[in-house]
Amino acid sequence: MMKNIERLVEKLAADAVVVRPAPHPFALGLKWMGAAAAYLAVLLALTGLRPDLMEKFGEPWFAAEIALLLGIFVAATLSAALLAFPDLHQKRGAAWKPAAMMALFIAVIFFAWNADDPPSPLPSHTFECTLSIVLVALLPAIWTLHAMRGYASTHYRTAGSIVLLAAFSVGALWLRLHEVNNSVFHMIQWHYLPMLAAGLIGLWVGRLVLKW
Amino acid sequence: MTDTTDDLAVLMRQALAGDQRAYAELLRKTALLLRPFLSRRLNADSEVDDLLQEILLSIHKARHTYDGRRPYKPWAYAIASFRLKDHLRTHYADRLRHAEDIADLENILHKDVTETNLDYESISGEIEKLPEKQSTILRLMHQQGYTAKETAQKMGMNESAVKVAAHRAYRILRKKLER
Repeated sequence: MMKNIERLVEKLAADAVVVRPAPHPFALGLKWMGAAAAYLAVLLALTGLRPDLMEKFGEPWFAAEIALLLGIFVAATLSAALLAFPDLHQKRGAAWKPAAMMALFIAVIFFAWNADDPPSPLPSHTFECTLSIVLVALLPAIWTLHAMRGYASTHYRTAGSIVLLAAFSVGALWLRLHEVNNSVFHMIQWHYLPMLAAGLIGLWVGRLVLKW
Repeated sequence: MTDTTDDLAVLMRQALAGDQRAYAELLRKTALLLRPFLSRRLNADSEVDDLLQEILLSIHKARHTYDGRRPYKPWAYAIASFRLKDHLRTHYADRLRHAEDIADLENILHKDVTETNLDYESISGEIEKLPEKQSTILRLMHQQGYTAKETAQKMGMNESAVKVAAHRAYRILRKKLER
């Protein structure tokens, strides 16, 4: 039996060539973030910002919502980069930061919902928002998953979930900065619950795409 | 943070620079490091050996994710645990797939499994394609005429296990022949 191991070791050693180590996960995360931010900027330039955006930033719950969406995007992208490494680059704590961001985000949305009294009128559209977010999120999701396949994730389900969460946060940010819509109930129903669902679907996508 | 096996990190750095001897040394040391870890979790030595080979291959495939600037052992153990979990998942899924219904078993154990409608000679080709244990059992029972009890003694198994294995083999053969 030891002979088999010895044979394999010799074979693998004979294959050894100079290998360029992967970049640090934070550098990798910044690269992915930069690409996603550029994509978001192009989308907003093409579709336009909501006209009342500056006024809305004066509302604390809206500002907190946007800040936390950004926080989810940053934390999830960095976490995805860490999850691409078998040992999470030995930064386990940082890899689970998106969970804390999500918890804060849910709390803010809950308070914003309570503060929306009397409730803002519901827009006439419904699932179209989810569909738009999905379409916007597709590209960052695909490129991040594709990039991650070049690494060696040992947490492929979590990695898939986090990648979809990061991609959907880009979609959600775009729609929130573009669409004139103040109904928190609509936002929960058609923007943020689908984002959570995407995180769950990511568990399956990760197994499908990132298993090695 | 320093690794108690700093030399492994150094070896990996050299290996990444293309040093084949350092790489062979690293893989040997890794195998020595991981063998007890796997032996504690698996029963058969052959299983440990197979999985160890798989882990070494995975380490080879993922070596670009290690930069030599952080401890080596957690990185190697992360890959080993990942492969071990995968192995156990497949192992138990297989066992579940091949598990017999308990009611089914009660029926088999009372049957005389040496009496079947199958003629050994006409299907010997199909029997040879069965897993080795099953084909040996059928050969002993149907070609050489041993009883289930005698077959069990010859193969160092208990009688019930022989009957269950024979029953499974019949089922596979029946499916193949019905096609």
